[in-house]
Amino acid sequence: LPMAFRDVNARRHIGLQQLSSLALAGRTLLGPMKSCKFIVDESTNQSTLICSAVRLIESLDLTGAAGQLLNETIQAQNKEFNTGMSTLLFLIGAWSNAVLECLQQNVPVSAIVSVMSEGLNSCCERVQCLQISIHDVNKEICSCSVKPNAFKSITCQIGCNSLLNPQIFLYVQKDISAPEEVIPRNSHSHQEDDSKFNERLLSPLAGFGERASLVKPTGEKSTPMISGSGGITSSCNKQKLTHSRYFSTLGRSHFSSQQSNFQGYLSGSSADLCECCGLEHLAMALSHGNQTGVKLLQSIVAYQREKAECSSSSQFNIAEIVTCCLLGLPESFSCVSPGFVTLVSPEQATVIKYFEDKLLRILLMDGDLTEQYRHLGFNRPCNVRTVLEHPSLLEGRAGDLWLSSMLDILRSFEVNLVLVKGNVCENLMERCIANSILVIGSVTRDVLCAFGEVTSAQSVTYLTQLNASCVGSGAQVGLWKACDGRAMDLGELVPVSIKVEGIPLLTAVLTTTVASKMQLIEDQFWTSAYRLHHALSDKKVFRGGGAVELLCLSHIQMLAEKPLQPENKNAVKEFHNPWLTASVTEYKSVVLRALASGWKQYLSVVMFNTAKAASELEARTSIDHHLKKAAECGSPSAYILKEFRKGNLFRAGSGAFADYGEDVKVYDNLAAKTEAWRRALDLVLLVLQTDAEIITGPQRNQLLNSHISSEFMFL
Amino acid sequence: MSRLEAKKPPLFISEPLTKDTFSQSLSLLSGILKSCYGPAGRLKQLHNGAGGYVCTTSQSSAIFGHLSVSHPILRVLTASVQNHVSRFSDCGLFTAILCCGLIENLRSLNIASCTIIKISKHLLSLCMDYLKSEACGCRIPVDFSSVEALLCLVRSVLTSKPACMLNKQEVDHLTVLILKAFMFTVPSHVETNAVLGKCIVVPVKGKRVVDSTVLPGLLIETPEIPSAKPLIVKRSCSNVIKIALFCVSMSGDLFSPEEGTITVHHGISLEKSELNQLLNVGNQLVNDEVGLVICQKVIHPSLKQYLKENHIIAVDRAGLSLMEPLSQMTGSKPIASIHFLSPSCYGSLKDVRIESFASKHFVHLIPTDAVVCSLLLCNRNETAWDELK
Repeated sequence: LPMAFRDVNARRHIGLQQLSSLALAGRTLLGPMKSCKFIVDESTNQSTLICSAVRLIESLDLTGAAGQLLNETIQAQNKEFNTGMSTLLFLIGAWSNAVLECLQQNVPVSAIVSVMSEGLNSCCERVQCLQISIHDVNKEICSCSVKPNAFKSITCQIGCNSLLNPQIFLYVQKDISAPEEVIPRNSHSHQEDDSKFNERLLSPLAGFGERASLVKPTGEKSTPMISGSGGITSSCNKQKLTHSRYFSTLGRSHFSSQQSNFQGYLSGSSADLCECCGLEHLAMALSHGNQTGVKLLQSIVAYQREKAECSSSSQFNIAEIVTCCLLGLPESFSCVSPGFVTLVSPEQATVIKYFEDKLLRILLMDGDLTEQYRHLGFNRPCNVRTVLEHPSLLEGRAGDLWLSSMLDILRSFEVNLVLVKGNVCENLMERCIANSILVIGSVTRDVLCAFGEVTSAQSVTYLTQLNASCVGSGAQVGLWKACDGRAMDLGELVPVSIKVEGIPLLTAVLTTTVASKMQLIEDQFWTSAYRLHHALSDKKVFRGGGAVELLCLSHIQMLAEKPLQPENKNAVKEFHNPWLTASVTEYKSVVLRALASGWKQYLSVVMFNTAKAASELEARTSIDHHLKKAAECGSPSAYILKEFRKGNLFRAGSGAFADYGEDVKVYDNLAAKTEAWRRALDLVLLVLQTDAEIITGPQRNQLLNSHISSEFMFL
Repeated sequence: MSRLEAKKPPLFISEPLTKDTFSQSLSLLSGILKSCYGPAGRLKQLHNGAGGYVCTTSQSSAIFGHLSVSHPILRVLTASVQNHVSRFSDCGLFTAILCCGLIENLRSLNIASCTIIKISKHLLSLCMDYLKSEACGCRIPVDFSSVEALLCLVRSVLTSKPACMLNKQEVDHLTVLILKAFMFTVPSHVETNAVLGKCIVVPVKGKRVVDSTVLPGLLIETPEIPSAKPLIVKRSCSNVIKIALFCVSMSGDLFSPEEGTITVHHGISLEKSELNQLLNVGNQLVNDEVGLVICQKVIHPSLKQYLKENHIIAVDRAGLSLMEPLSQMTGSKPIASIHFLSPSCYGSLKDVRIESFASKHFVHLIPTDAVVCSLLLCNRNETAWDELK
């Protein structure tokens, strides 16, 4: 009888409780000011220092089903984005709590599931107005750094955004009505007259009007559930919508040409100036206070751009970066070094003396360099017996035979340097050192490929495969020298650097004197690097520092407070299964508030962690204050943007950015953030919809004897 | 001498259906299944209780696959439902719930079982006759000339699985993809016995669902071939690519490990002779102007190197599941020996390309007329992907 069955769906859902308590551990990892944690193994008294959600979850012992799913979710996010895991972990906890509260109030599961996922979708669409294309970010950042008065470029920014993104239209209208903001805009577009400009601003609405009418052809008023844009609902806007219909019939054909005109004009003005320093600043704005990482990243960007000017490759290539961790040097010694830097033993380092200033012949091997090694998929024969007819002196020296034949091969092709992906046979290593051949093991695939490309070496699996065309040339090896020009001798291992003329590979040498921080520094570096990478591949970023979450909050608040109108009910019907409609509308506002509470907790914890607020309660009050003002303002996105521009709202990363002055902008990754939200909600809803845990396997007696045996039924 | 344990005396249980333990188990099982049913059905977490993989599902095939039921009658029940699912891949839950319900209800009637059997058989035949007759109102003719009905059908299947965690947009996207994939498998020249082609599902985990696509032809994952360089393929005289398909291992290890020992004199390497044989095969492939070699298993690095030097693309570890569609698509016969190579085994392809999705590189084989297609299916995490599949 190897199967047990546990009913998890009491009013207090066990799975959700597990999730929320696990996530509680990650609260202080949220935001730009993270506090590290020690994780102590009680049996061995060993401890590790962690500072990210991935490492936290990795080092916890997760046996429960919910814990396993949590781990799986976080690993998936880590694998794809390398960032956003703390957000993910936190929201999982916050939303689990929120859903538990809904269950307490007897909200049916199906209603929670459908309203929450629709709510999140609607938010993801709504926050699109806070995204900026990388091109515009470059301009924005550069104009800030070049001239302190950033006013012009920002208003310019608005116009551009509005054309790219129809939803933002409303707040542009607002800005235009304020005279002091119109003036700089006009000074930019001096060739155009006012009316024409207005027409342009209206024209994106043409697209929007059509979209709304597509969804619901008969209704006068589009509901936010359908359009995904909450700003259109107040009565004054209704007029403008009809206006847009007018334009949609009249001005449709002008639309595309005008847009391209306008953009062309914008990009012409300051783009050349900006490209130079844009990526560096973007890297900083995305890093949220990780200073060492940013400095390294900035020099990588500068170096890669220099190369790109010769070869016209892409701006930032994450595949061409490797890290090398040096323990024992102060952190200020971290730097970027072209080529491949790695640690070798002192014996190997002695070989390097002979190599100074010489161009070496290089060999790449994609397996182990041992006698026993065979390629993957090779089955060793088990039933072969070797007999020796004439016993001779060779007996017992088969290993030596292999060693000398391998060495002969290496010598005959005059190889000086061998990079091996796997392990290297100790004896062969010794022989090679004696013959001044440097063999380095455990080299990653990417590094092998990079060397293969510039030296035209082709990687081989066995030395017996070697022919002249496989061996590359032109490599240079030297001891790695720190920035003060001295070679390092860090006791057991010696850093060496291997270069080839024109190799795109860069090594970020990370140094620290504290051993337990090593992993942490490496993780942080990669996080910054991947943020920049994803920002460039998304081609867009979010305005950071909580703007996105605040807009979500205000959007949800509006959805929740909206009274149910007949058309609205129809709208709901379109989205859900018809038999769910009644219950869904009934519980809508409760569930939406639960969704909003997740983001509110997120913001307040970030504010508390960054010491922007003395307590989480104070943070909440300040958020509520801003929400109220945003709601009164009529257009929340406009309010939020304005406040963030002024720096009045809670701004993240103030401590870390103190050196750079208050003008530094903060951006967030687009896909990483929304995906983290979605994954978090998916997991919570998945666990919520689970009503039973079925345990298969032979642990029946264990379960019967444990204290929770009463919860189980056996089949 | 070891003592043999005396066998336990056989135990006869009469009227097993009336026993309490059985009825408890049955009602528990039917309770589990009933709560899974429908688009708002609840999910089950299946795991081994010792930190193993957690399967979250509401699918009958997954549940029955993991369940190990001990009662013989329940075992008969689950086995027959599993057979039903493997035959029709649908309606597993319905069948199981119906079974459990019938047993439970009929048992409470207190009528002799042979009477019940007779009556229910008769009722079943009545039902079937009605459903098959033209008078039946439930039947909707499926119009294959328009996609509407087909789309609805696919969508209803997708939305009945809550563990997939799909939103509306994703469901729409997948529905269209699945239908497209189905269309690809319908042969364009209908012969007397039309056979549907194959649709291969290629897993891409960790990506968004909307990133899924359908491609005609086959995709084989190859981590080794860099995507940066354009692929140069040797073409034979009629501008098609000659392809050789091996279903035997070319890794250079000895033939299958059979019983008995082989005795070899010192100094003779079986490995070397095997490799020489492989290189002979390679030589023949070069002479026959083959452009692409695909092996189900592993190809020896030396042979790969040799083929590469002769501008032949070698793809290994294609896997057993791809072999049938590969040979169907290219018209080649899988070669099962590295000793006899007949030129009639070669197939042909229109084009070969390199595609990359989400950090995975694939060789994309494009046939002259496609009845085989690949559905690249993405989902955010493993749990959801498994359910989606």
